[in-house]
Amino acid sequence: MIPFSPEVFFALFEEYNLAIWPAQFAAYALGLLVLILAVRPSRVSSGVIGAILAALWMWNGVAYHWFFFAPINFSAPVFAGFFILQALLLLWKFVIQRDAMIGFRRDAPGITGLTLMIVALAGYPLLANVADHGGLQSAVFGVAPTPTVIFTLGVLLLARPRAPLVLMIVPLLWSVIGGLAVWLVGIPEDVVLPVAGVLAVNLVLWQRRGQA
Amino acid sequence: MNRKDWTDQGPTRRAVLGGMAATGALTVAGLLPPGPRTAVAAPSLMRAIPSTGQKIPAIGMGTWITFNVGPSRKLREARLKVLQTFFDMGGGMIDSSPMYGTSEDVVGYCLSRIENDQTLFSATKVWTVSEAMGKRQMKTSAELWGLKTFDLMQIHNLLDWETHLRTLKSWKERGRIRHIGITTSHGRRHDDLLDVMRSQPVDFVQFTYNILDREAENRLLPTAADRGLAVIINRPFRRGDLFSKFDRHPLPQWAGEIGCTNWASFLLKFVISHPAVTCAIPATSRVDHMRENMATLKGPLPDAAMRRRMVGYVESL
Repeated sequence: MIPFSPEVFFALFEEYNLAIWPAQFAAYALGLLVLILAVRPSRVSSGVIGAILAALWMWNGVAYHWFFFAPINFSAPVFAGFFILQALLLLWKFVIQRDAMIGFRRDAPGITGLTLMIVALAGYPLLANVADHGGLQSAVFGVAPTPTVIFTLGVLLLARPRAPLVLMIVPLLWSVIGGLAVWLVGIPEDVVLPVAGVLAVNLVLWQRRGQA
Repeated sequence: MNRKDWTDQGPTRRAVLGGMAATGALTVAGLLPPGPRTAVAAPSLMRAIPSTGQKIPAIGMGTWITFNVGPSRKLREARLKVLQTFFDMGGGMIDSSPMYGTSEDVVGYCLSRIENDQTLFSATKVWTVSEAMGKRQMKTSAELWGLKTFDLMQIHNLLDWETHLRTLKSWKERGRIRHIGITTSHGRRHDDLLDVMRSQPVDFVQFTYNILDREAENRLLPTAADRGLAVIINRPFRRGDLFSKFDRHPLPQWAGEIGCTNWASFLLKFVISHPAVTCAIPATSRVDHMRENMATLKGPLPDAAMRRRMVGYVESL
């Protein structure tokens, strides 16, 4: 049950993108930094990546869901809670516990993970443009949920020895919710989201079976 | 082009029958044998609220989705034109809810810019749990609409209804609201709604009824008539699905006998011609669709035989 129309959804994105300008540039800079650190990992890079992802999830929970989306959607406060929870989990796993390292490897999870990160940064906006949802109506990486979730799923596929399953839960839930938007709100570019979710969960499970 | 609208969402039997007789529409109710005519002239499609006798237009306006436009000035101005058309064509009831995002805020925005809204019948809902939160929510609603009192306050989807009913009874006695109602939609919780209708002092009930979803004819509508409850019908177009189903088909030639020139009037006339129905609340974000909806207030209504014919036609499509 979606309480707003596609027209209103995209109008809200215009308002949001104008209101947070130029935070989109900062988000992209952080995304590129994560990409570089993932390809050239160091002793501290996983913690930095975890902190950056946590910051982006926190932004999405508070700024996007709580402040901008909640007035038109009664479910948004719940979404905000889940995004804030994911931010805390990312901090816990990558910054405090440090029980997984993030680094690119030339295996199926690694190549898929890197691809998803590039799709979130470049492919998704191109698809949005094709679907006539570009410009101010864009869901921009880092400050809007869908590309941020796709990117995060990509990062988690680079985690070694394996992705913490607890970090997969919220992104996968959003893959389902966001996937519904393809049909219910008319956002064809969001079809990337459930595809990313299915790929990520299968590769992580395959990875864990291989290590068992 | 397919029409896509969205909708959001009592009388004693004596009062219902009285009202119908006043409009010469007893045949519509199926309470008198149908005569040679298949339609009954309805000089004015106003309906009386049984508990108070106040008359309201049989077509109102819902705000689910359509008025939830957020802060956009452009979209608010577009909705202002829709609401202006509603009042220009004799509109009365506007139905909203705190559940509908910014809809109440947008209704208030529009009402503050419309001058001929004297016929407004303000209807909203309480949709929360606990007495304190309910009171706070209803006060917020009044602020958003820019009103001191509501004509109708409904308990949305029966949520914590026993708690809110105590508050609403007290508020009605003190003049803060004029009528009490309770709602459901999508055919849910009919048994619970019937219990409330049979045992509690409510003035209005609201539920879903349309030409394909007719379960309400079995128990809800007869009970409302027996108990003297006004009836608001939500989803008369099944949130636009009925247009998707029927728009590619022509209206039957005999639709002209009841003054129908488009599917909107065909579907709405079916709903409001049920004798127990007080008001239907189609929602729209378009001025041309609002004109079609409100035009339904003019012309004859189908009688019982014609209603059966209407059902037969749509089920054959």
